[in-house]
Amino acid sequence: MNDKIVVQVENLTKRFGTFTAVNNVSLSVRQGEIFGFLGANGAGKTTVIRMLCGLLLPSSGMGKVAGYDILTQPERIKRAIGYMSQKFSLYPDMTGRENLYFYGAAYGLGRKLIGERVMALSERLSLREFLDRPSKGLPIGWRQRLALAVSTLHHPKILFLDEPTGGVDPAFRRTFWSTLYDLAEEGATIFVTTHYMDEAEYCRRISIMHQGQIIELGTPHELVKKHRAANLEDMFVDLIRKRESDNA
Amino acid sequence: MFRAYSALIRKEFIQVSRDRNMLRLIFLMPVVQLLVLGYAVNLDVKKISLDVYDFNRSQTSRELVDAMKAGDYFIPGEEGQTKERRPLWHLADRFQDGSAQMAVIIPEDFSERLTRGENVTIGLMADGTDANSARIGLGYTAQIVDRYAWKHTGLSPPIGIRSAFLYNPETESVYYMVPGIVATLLTMVTIMLTSMAIVREREMGTLEQLMVTPISGFVLLMGKITTFAILGLLEMVIALAVGVLWFGIPFVGSPLLLLALAVLFLISTLGMGMFFSTITSSQQQAMFLAFFSTIFAMLTSGFFTPISNMPQWMQYITYLNPMRYFMTIMRGILMKGAGIADLAPDIIALAVYGSVIFSLSVIRFKKRTE
Ligand SMILES: Nc1ncnc2c1ncn2[C@@H]1O[C@H](COP(=O)(O)OP(=O)(O)OP(=O)(O)O)[C@@H](O)[C@H]1O
Ligand SMILES: [Mg+2]
Repeated sequence: MNDKIVVQVENLTKRFGTFTAVNNVSLSVRQGEIFGFLGANGAGKTTVIRMLCGLLLPSSGMGKVAGYDILTQPERIKRAIGYMSQKFSLYPDMTGRENLYFYGAAYGLGRKLIGERVMALSERLSLREFLDRPSKGLPIGWRQRLALAVSTLHHPKILFLDEPTGGVDPAFRRTFWSTLYDLAEEGATIFVTTHYMDEAEYCRRISIMHQGQIIELGTPHELVKKHRAANLEDMFVDLIRKRESDNA
Repeated sequence: MFRAYSALIRKEFIQVSRDRNMLRLIFLMPVVQLLVLGYAVNLDVKKISLDVYDFNRSQTSRELVDAMKAGDYFIPGEEGQTKERRPLWHLADRFQDGSAQMAVIIPEDFSERLTRGENVTIGLMADGTDANSARIGLGYTAQIVDRYAWKHTGLSPPIGIRSAFLYNPETESVYYMVPGIVATLLTMVTIMLTSMAIVREREMGTLEQLMVTPISGFVLLMGKITTFAILGLLEMVIALAVGVLWFGIPFVGSPLLLLALAVLFLISTLGMGMFFSTITSSQQQAMFLAFFSTIFAMLTSGFFTPISNMPQWMQYITYLNPMRYFMTIMRGILMKGAGIADLAPDIIALAVYGSVIFSLSVIRFKKRTE
């Protein structure tokens, strides 16, 4: 990991009508870092990610991803990032292999190169037997691995993973995370949201979002110490509870 | 870019080929529609009941009348054997109550002119409400008169036929129906497929995954459109094949010209489909819009009612309907062998319409939401 900052956001805000989904969010992520994005349902995590990926126009604020401006250069950003959305979004009626070849071509890769990468990825994610089945029939753990394969096929510098392990059983989650570690080792930056505190422990740094704002940001160790909690789980629950009672 | 484009087309075809409903919509619907609507129109034109107005009452005219009655084509109806002249409005009554479908009128000077070697014209009146029978009856008569003229004079036909239809000749004819059905199908299927395909991707979330790739919105739309244009043309070929092979509708003009102009027409309907996908949020909404716009297009295209018979304000509305132009083009090419020059106004109208609606929808289709 080096000190190069690849995601930088300042005062990012998104309003839907009168409702403010993301409120003055500022953060930065270094290259090779696994950055955990935590928060209760509806906190605004997905909305932030969608703005960073060039899918949603911010209401105000600035940001740079991979050196490109999120307001003016979304198409450049798209070449540099991989995105795995919260909802499974591969073509359900196509097989894993067909999905991979399609997205490979969408990123402008040739068939031969795609073939090599599909081989390597199916090795790494043990996907081989599942590659030629329609993706809708796959068990969720395999589906998520397939989605990860699709979003890394073009070797993106930054990966945005929106709840990649939601609903996946613990054994699968562990292998999934070991793959994420490998990718980070190879220099990829990973921006990941999760609801599982054990996964948050794996992150280099985490931020906690609440009602559109970032209320904590630091390494898991720092945060636990600061709040004098037994573990991350307790800290998170306490923090959110305190906020809720403050609001009430 | 080309890689992405061809991958998009391949992807669309894979998806269509695995979607049973889609396949049914594309391949079964045209055949079923044609058979149902085609048979709703009376095709049984073997026997046409024929009235005879023989004002000449000579041996010569008698022979012509006998020749007409001899074949399997006509059932003899009333004949004016007496010198008394039955007025022609009597014929209108007989058409009205269905007791006659056609009448032949032989002028007083028929035999004299023929013996003098002069040209002579006989009259043919047909009930236009069944234009299909009328046309075929006219064809039979022309053949019989030709043969008769050869036998009698040895000259190439000195007998001309002047034909007239009572009532509107453009209704209920299978010849007129089939091009209408084909144009309607093409409109419905392309608008529906395009709008639903885009909205479905949005619903399923796959559109978001696509939007995050570097594929430009334009290429994305082109990939979809190319696929549905190919499917639409395939659909047209199937429907026309059924029309020609099964119903024996004429195909006088150039198939290539028809294909080229169908592509031009599809730019409008595919553009409309895309446009609908930008203003709807569910597949049902898209389907409703596609359905109603097709009905509207059909009603104002001259499919059922000739445009010239519509009230003036309605006629103005028809100019907004791309199908109207394509209907003229289809009928022109199929039945009259019309060429580019004959169809120029319709071609220009379609080109203008297509480029406007197409650009509008490309502009509206954004990769990033507000
Ligand atoms: N397009 C939209 N229009 C209006 N409101 C929206 C829109 N997208 C999101 N929201 C609202 O913004 C808030 C934040 O949503 P977001 O999906 O970012 O939360 P999240 O942190 O990802 O939640 P989850 O953990 O459930 O995925 C929610 O209240 C949501 O209803
Ligand atoms: Mg979310």
